[in-house]
Amino acid sequence: MDKTSSDAITSRFSDLSPLLEKWAFPAENQRSAVRWGASASEFEEFYSKMMPRLGEFLELLSHNPPNKLPPELHGIYQLVCAFAEAAPHHELYKGSAEVPHSFDPRRFRALHGNDPS
Amino acid sequence: MITNDTGDSISEQKSASPRISSTQELRDRFGVAPVSTESICNPAIYDLEKEKIFRKTWLKVATTWEIPEIGDCKVKDLPVLDTSLVITRGRDGKIRAFHNVCTHRGNKIIPETDTETYVRARANVLTCRFHGWVFSTDGTLKSVPAQDHFGELDTACARLREVACDVWQDFVFINMEPEPSQTLADYLDGLSVVFGGYPYAESTQAYRYSTVLDCNWKVALYAFSEGYHVPTIHAGSLPGFRGADHAEFKVMSPHASSTIFAGGMDTTPATSAFAAVLHGSAAHRPRPDQLPKAINPTGRPDFQFELPTIFPNLIIHLGAGCGYPGLSFFTHQFWPMAHGKTLWEGTNYFRPPATAAEKAAQIHVSALHRNAWLEDTATMEDTFKGLMSGAITEMQLMDQEFLIRHISQNIDKYINA
Ligand code: FES
Ligand SMILES: [Fe+2]
Repeated sequence: MDKTSSDAITSRFSDLSPLLEKWAFPAENQRSAVRWGASASEFEEFYSKMMPRLGEFLELLSHNPPNKLPPELHGIYQLVCAFAEAAPHHELYKGSAEVPHSFDPRRFRALHGNDPS
Repeated sequence: MITNDTGDSISEQKSASPRISSTQELRDRFGVAPVSTESICNPAIYDLEKEKIFRKTWLKVATTWEIPEIGDCKVKDLPVLDTSLVITRGRDGKIRAFHNVCTHRGNKIIPETDTETYVRARANVLTCRFHGWVFSTDGTLKSVPAQDHFGELDTACARLREVACDVWQDFVFINMEPEPSQTLADYLDGLSVVFGGYPYAESTQAYRYSTVLDCNWKVALYAFSEGYHVPTIHAGSLPGFRGADHAEFKVMSPHASSTIFAGGMDTTPATSAFAAVLHGSAAHRPRPDQLPKAINPTGRPDFQFELPTIFPNLIIHLGAGCGYPGLSFFTHQFWPMAHGKTLWEGTNYFRPPATAAEKAAQIHVSALHRNAWLEDTATMEDTFKGLMSGAITEMQLMDQEFLIRHISQNIDKYINA
């Protein structure tokens, strides 16, 4: 990707910086820790900002494998991964950080949990 | 000799059609009476299970693609076998299994960092850290520091202690019997009719979860072996799983299989968007054409996945992307650690993602599925406590809970053999 289009991407997503700061982390365990501490209004805000643009983000991410993304897409990728994991909490669990009536998620271990997604 | 439910020996029932034609046949052949909770609750039966089931049957311990290169090793800690095993890929490409025990004085050859540990044997050798004995990945003792200071040492006899190991459909199994009474191929003969031929090894992208549950291993196994709980336990995470139906039972004792049918999962906007990424890709789209012929032979469009019980402790749910978007198959394994303690491992297998978008979509599907597993595992410790209270001594089983009845009958057969 040339300089102009990478600058264009950066400015196109300047409004995402608060979301990036809160949600965007490379590994699943880091993202889970954020999600377990999130409130219903934070899930709602994340969802309302991400869902309308999800198609656009997925299109941008459909040209490279995760380990060969241009640097200006790293944040978007981590944000989309976090959204992939957080969306059910808004869509299905009424904003609860836990899956209702479930086992303690902190007792689940993800074998891949510390690897970058 | 172990016999199946109709009294035939297992070897005689090879190639017989495993299909059960009706619920009535299921009831007639296997009974309808409540099933005793004795084998779950009695610690003495757990000791018998260790000796007569886990030390005698073939157990899945790895997949070939977990150790793809020469020198790759996986260590699996197996309290139910009172040992830890090293599974290696030798210089000849062959996969072997050994006790993770140094033949000098018994130290672990590979120190474990977890319930499973992966290492690459550099120069194809494994060195014990205690005194430096060096073994080849085929088990040969290659060198011994200060060897001339041993008054007697037969290096040929000091090979790593090998365990029977064989591969079925790219799943690696071991058997602790010095001379297994059945080959792996014979043990899984009936199962191959239903599960053989799917390209399992293409789906190397794994998302694995595990947890240690304070329950008997069969409580966990049974909870994952029936579709009766889906509309209730999974009302939160799988609201789109409409009209769940658990049917098409097949019996190839000691194993059995069945099919889960249900309406689609693409119910929410986020799931629809992620599913579209996978469904739009040649590698990840539903592949009913790749399902073995015995699975969903009538091509029902609401097919989700095949649900077998592979005796004693393995489930391979084969969906070929038809159910959960992009998900080729998923496995559950239940490793007893003690009478009332179980390591559960659940793994989602996808084909490797070609793009970051595909990876994110797999992460979404895997998270939805993990959430359903959190709903499943929530019942297990309570169920075990309830049964251990002695308040009930029998389980009432409906038709969709047939696999539980079948496993329970096979457990009784093995421990009474
Ligand atoms: S115990 Fe392994 S070298 Fe001594
Ligand atoms: Fe379930």
